[in-house]
Amino acid sequence: MSEATVERGAEILRVDRLNKWYGSYHALRDVTLTVAVGERVVICGPSGSGKSSLIRCINGIEGFDTGTLEACGTSLGRSATAAQLMTVRRRIGMVFQEFNLFPHLSVLENCTLAPVATGLLRPPEAEVMALQLLERVRLVDQARKYPSELSGGQQQRAAIARALCMKPRLMLFDEPTSALDPETVKEVLDTIVQLAEEGMTMVCVSHEMGFARQVADRIVFMDEGQVLEIASPQEFFAAPAHDRSTAFLGSLLRS
Amino acid sequence: MRYVASARIEAAAPPRSSVSRIERIRALFFSSPASTLATVLLALACATLAAQLFTWGIRDAVFSTARAPQTCRVAGVGACWAVIGEKLRLILFGTYPYAEQWRPAVAMLSLLAMYVVSAQPRFWNRRLPLAWAVTLAAFALLMFGGVLGLSYVPDDRWGGLPVTLILATLGLVAGFALAIPLALVRHSPGGGIAKALVVAYIELARSVPLLAVLFLASVMIPLFLPQGMDVSKLLRVIIAFALFTAAYLAEVVRSGLMAVPVGQRQAAAALGLSPFVVTTRIVLPQALTAVLPALVNVFIAFFKATSIVVVVGIFDLMTAAKRAAADAQWEGFGTEIYLFVAAVYFVFCYAMSWYSARLQAARDPARRA
Repeated sequence: MSEATVERGAEILRVDRLNKWYGSYHALRDVTLTVAVGERVVICGPSGSGKSSLIRCINGIEGFDTGTLEACGTSLGRSATAAQLMTVRRRIGMVFQEFNLFPHLSVLENCTLAPVATGLLRPPEAEVMALQLLERVRLVDQARKYPSELSGGQQQRAAIARALCMKPRLMLFDEPTSALDPETVKEVLDTIVQLAEEGMTMVCVSHEMGFARQVADRIVFMDEGQVLEIASPQEFFAAPAHDRSTAFLGSLLRS
Repeated sequence: MRYVASARIEAAAPPRSSVSRIERIRALFFSSPASTLATVLLALACATLAAQLFTWGIRDAVFSTARAPQTCRVAGVGACWAVIGEKLRLILFGTYPYAEQWRPAVAMLSLLAMYVVSAQPRFWNRRLPLAWAVTLAAFALLMFGGVLGLSYVPDDRWGGLPVTLILATLGLVAGFALAIPLALVRHSPGGGIAKALVVAYIELARSVPLLAVLFLASVMIPLFLPQGMDVSKLLRVIIAFALFTAAYLAEVVRSGLMAVPVGQRQAAAALGLSPFVVTTRIVLPQALTAVLPALVNVFIAFFKATSIVVVVGIFDLMTAAKRAAADAQWEGFGTEIYLFVAAVYFVFCYAMSWYSARLQAARDPARRA
């Protein structure tokens, strides 16, 4: 896609000894992680383990206290300017657990707003691209509808299309299926898998272990704000190295 | 115990609505002896009042201005609507020079036309503010005159409905325009001097009666202005009005800002939108839609509150009505004049209320069919 000059394998995200506190609560503890272009990383762990905090630090939706974070060539931190944050966010797409579509805009307007408002595309071009992407997530027939008229799964696919309209180099998914009915989880996961197969670099927080096994190049297991294990899916699911990884996988199997 | 369904239950049409209209009326008005008694008594009272109103207001009323007010003074005659016909131009235009009253009429009609145009979403584009600027300039040109062969009429000779309308329009529009930045600053996270000033301003403005603010604007401010600098009383009162309404509207807008989920801001920011775009395209549209009924509530309240400018000597619709009722020749027909003025206020206020309900329905996606 865009920025074809960035070769596969180059580093797109570097997180180094990141620490974050909410008041006196130590939410992220010395988190270190790098992601290369083309790589698919799935972050898992029990709730409250800091997965969402971490992914929200990557595009600066949340700040952190110590450590360094460099995403798409820009260093984020306390000294990052508003302009730097905007630049990074335009290169990183994000999909939220609660979809967060704009309810006062149609699906198509949700998709075209950002490319036009940021000067990336002119309105007619943005509409053409938005319709192409809505076609890809199989929503082109819903383009004129409003988010409240769509099912949860359709809303989440629309949110994916909205993020893709900014031609991101990296996609972040923050528990994209946790707010969905079990029946509609699959249609959203299929969309993400398709995106992964097309070579999109992604970091995904997910509880869907089948999905993780299918798309991930690496699994990151977190607990209590700490990265406890980083492994390939084969290693992680066959022989988790950390006691708590074992316990976590066990708890998922029992449920 | 085990249960396994043995047959498929086919879909069937829903049962007919179990309550007929007659049953519903019975449940509402005649559910018990006490309810029946109350219904009968109230119905009788309403019928009596309506009959009397009809007799006074229509059957025995005098409509023709010919030979009035003598015809109105005959015993047994009802309402004297002739006084409205006689005093209409005084009520509508006050003491504006009689021969020039086509000017306030045209000015007022162009304002009304702009209300109708602005109410329609298909005209909501960049040309609308321009059209408003042109209309307001035309309004000032017509009312003041002094150019194009129109005689000059100072604003202390303006009166009646155009004054009420321009006071309400400029006061509310300017107040609303000011309320949005005030609300945004007050809603912003963190502290800072700007926020402290805004909070102080809003709380102060809300703690002072409108009457005091109007006296301040009309009597005190000129004392502080340097010699030779003269701002007309009407303009001072409009500014005072705008500053006062801004404080109330700011709090309504702020409650709308609080109603927008934090995820909306996050999603907009995550797309790389600038804070300005996030605010104007994502947050404000949702916030204002959420508080539309409350906004219109304030608009209606302040439209009616414009009538208290009578105490500082602005000649608005209410002042004009008082003046009309004070005519010795037509003494005793104040009721008719005030009823007429009440009807004018009602038309404007009800139009606002009706329009907000319609707009709310159109902009609320959940209610869109």
